[in-house]
Amino acid sequence: MPLAPIIYQSFLSDRLYERDKTFTLANYALVLQSGELRDTIATTVAFAVATTILSVALGTLFAVLLTRTDVPGRRFLHDIVILPFYVSPLVVAFAWAIVYGPAGFATIGVGTILGLPTWQLYTVGGMAVVAAVYFVPYSYLYATGSLALTDPQLEDASRIAGGGPFRTLWSITLPLLRPAIVSGTLLTLVSTIELLSIPLVLGQPVGVQVLATFLYGTATRSTPNDYGIVAATSVAMLLVITLLVWLQTRITGPERRYVTVGGKAIRGRVVALGTMGWPVSAALWLYVAVGVALPLLGIFAQASTTFLTPLVNPFEVLTLDNFKQIFEQPAYVNSIRNSLIIATVGGLLATFFIAFAVLVTNRSDFPLRGALAYIALYPRAIPGIIVGIGFLWTMLLIPGLGEIRNTLIALTVAFTVRFLPIGFGAVMPSVLRISGELDRASRVAGASWLTTMRAILVPLLRPALAAAFVLLFVSFLKEYASALFLVAGGSEVIGTTMIEFWRQGNSGPVAALAATQLVLTLVAIVVGQRLLGARLRG
Amino acid sequence: MAERTGDLVIEGLVKLFEGGVRAVDDVSITIRQGEFVTLLGPSGCGKTTTLNCVAGLERPDAGRIAVGGDVLTDVSRRVILPPERRDLGMVFQSYALWPHMTVHDNLAYGLRLRKVTRAEMESRIKATLDLVELGGLEKRYPYQLSGGQQQRVALARAVVAQPRVLLLDEPLSNLDAKVRERARFWLRDLQRRLGITAVYVTHDQAEALAISDRVAVMSAGRVLQYAPPNDIYERPSSRFVAEFIGRSSFLRGEVVRVGAGRAEVRLAGSGTVVTAAGTAAGTAPGDRVVLAVRSERIDMRGENAAENIVRARIKSYVYAGAEYEYILDTPEGELRASSQRAVPGPDVKLHLPPDGIVVLRDDAPVS
Repeated sequence: MPLAPIIYQSFLSDRLYERDKTFTLANYALVLQSGELRDTIATTVAFAVATTILSVALGTLFAVLLTRTDVPGRRFLHDIVILPFYVSPLVVAFAWAIVYGPAGFATIGVGTILGLPTWQLYTVGGMAVVAAVYFVPYSYLYATGSLALTDPQLEDASRIAGGGPFRTLWSITLPLLRPAIVSGTLLTLVSTIELLSIPLVLGQPVGVQVLATFLYGTATRSTPNDYGIVAATSVAMLLVITLLVWLQTRITGPERRYVTVGGKAIRGRVVALGTMGWPVSAALWLYVAVGVALPLLGIFAQASTTFLTPLVNPFEVLTLDNFKQIFEQPAYVNSIRNSLIIATVGGLLATFFIAFAVLVTNRSDFPLRGALAYIALYPRAIPGIIVGIGFLWTMLLIPGLGEIRNTLIALTVAFTVRFLPIGFGAVMPSVLRISGELDRASRVAGASWLTTMRAILVPLLRPALAAAFVLLFVSFLKEYASALFLVAGGSEVIGTTMIEFWRQGNSGPVAALAATQLVLTLVAIVVGQRLLGARLRG
Repeated sequence: MAERTGDLVIEGLVKLFEGGVRAVDDVSITIRQGEFVTLLGPSGCGKTTTLNCVAGLERPDAGRIAVGGDVLTDVSRRVILPPERRDLGMVFQSYALWPHMTVHDNLAYGLRLRKVTRAEMESRIKATLDLVELGGLEKRYPYQLSGGQQQRVALARAVVAQPRVLLLDEPLSNLDAKVRERARFWLRDLQRRLGITAVYVTHDQAEALAISDRVAVMSAGRVLQYAPPNDIYERPSSRFVAEFIGRSSFLRGEVVRVGAGRAEVRLAGSGTVVTAAGTAAGTAPGDRVVLAVRSERIDMRGENAAENIVRARIKSYVYAGAEYEYILDTPEGELRASSQRAVPGPDVKLHLPPDGIVVLRDDAPVS
């Protein structure tokens, strides 16, 4: 595990690969006394809590509205609400900066042209709004999943007992969602704490610092002192996040077990909103347009113009220069190619590994299978940036591993570890749904465990494995946080190159890269659904 | 009984579940070659766990299982063969047909693993499908078959590799009542023709009595009685067996005299002395006993009988088609009786024929 060197380093007085180091608790003392860190933690908490409240409220509300009422256009709304799930948060951050930033298209449009008061995106509040939009799919998918499994007779009974449709939604449907809301809350909280991109893009320029950006900044400075502080802060962060994840598994445990028993999705009755339908629908469309569609369109607009502003007609400044700049520089083309290689080859390898791991944990009597499942699911608790630092230090520490440092192999391994839980999550429900009698029948028929898995389980799991591959492909394509410390000349990926451009203030090429990534992602999802028959779900 | 070649022998089988529950508690039975034996009991009695231990799907904590001379499981010698090396056939409750394979491929699976030649394989698959009257359906997928057809494919798959023993885990429980009754005859007939040793698990007592050479009645992990269906029904060895199989009433009493396989028992309620023919060895005067009487053995028009008469009052009755079923109040407590014709009431005299009474030790409170 890449965490060992971090824990090790947190007790060392010097860089972990130096000779004259001693064991010490000074790093923790430093962390505890640092006023800068105290402010950072306060900001992080404010950011995480605001984001979580906003995104869980919206996600749950949308889930109820889109699955239990007849809001016009709910199919389409559903697709757009979950769209951010497939987009890199880095792209989301850039997109909002382009459209709603201080010099953004919409900001200038509202402020300068219409003369109305505008907003401050580069604040904790602004960051929270952007992050909330990005995380809405989490609680939305949890809630819709739970709604699909709720026995509609519970709601029917309320109607028969005299409860009106809204009374029923409020008194029956929502309380039944409580477990889903709780797990959505905890997941969003954990994910916000580890989120690097949005604070990096929207907070860093104005000095708003959260733990993730603090770690990133300190780790890139890398004085001996900083190594210890990075490690100690990471350990503290891991403890908090582990606690939250543990809480989440405690709470979702029984519900998950119920899911496997139920299995089939039941369509609940739909409440007719009547005249309320149109205003509700309009509000949803407004959210989708302002929150998701406009920023993503902004990316494409920025990418294909020299200067994006409402003061100039965009069609007069159309250009392909931004794309040219990327596609004519071998280094940038290289980062796209690297991303694609890692996503394809790495994604395939990870899928094989996950298939094997899931089958061992679920379908064998391997004595350590419980521990294996835990190890596979734990990385969800590790912030991407800490995964990156951990892998870097592991390779510094273990002599032979230095060779693969800065290669795509290192990135593939780090990405696989990081997204193991997602792959597990995509395959696990399908495995649970396959009756154990099918394996038993094969064993009694004379097949060994391995043959049974190959001839019976894997063919039956093909759709789930395809879905896992598509999810991993998309995740690998958009990953940047764990890559930051693992890339060097030649092994850059799209995400790290975007951050590089952004640092230099080149928003045109950033947008072009982001647009490229978006298109690749969409193509992957569409192809995945058509060709592989993969059904994608959160 | 001496162990013969081909007999399935289970000795001292113990399986503990989490929390120390003895799911299977010292089960020892021998199933002769070609015999059809049913493990019968309520859910949770350990019958399926016993079957799974035979199949090698569960690891027992103690005991020995062997077919003929071949040891499949011997916990004391740390021998537990994996299921694939036991050469058994098994039919599962859900049939467990592999949904991504055709009927043909489902049958071919085990044969391929046994490295049977192609020609041999095809002829065996054809013969087996003909045997279960499904010839011509080779190319179908499981979802294209009816429940009854799926059940027969499952059976064909279990026997196609000519295993030593056929294990059946409630294979008929998913069928409609009518289909199920026909399937019983059919299954029994097939097993006889193949001459294969069969172990069958069910909680349906009618099914167990109809289909088996011998029945092992299980409760709480133990085998209470292991005997031919006729014996189980006529001469239950314990109150549990009498209660679980058929419909019986129980009367408390005290033995006053024993002789020539008959016992005279004074009933606790009225003090009437009745004679019982079915008497367990070791019954002695002074013993407190329970008399079990099948409801169809009670003669409700018993006023002309010379002995074994109990007065009763009809409490309620239902008409069940072939017969009337009565609930009767008597000094001995509530009794249940059935009659093919309606009986005028409310006061009746019941005749309990001596050979319809089984004397059991008083091991449970009257419910």
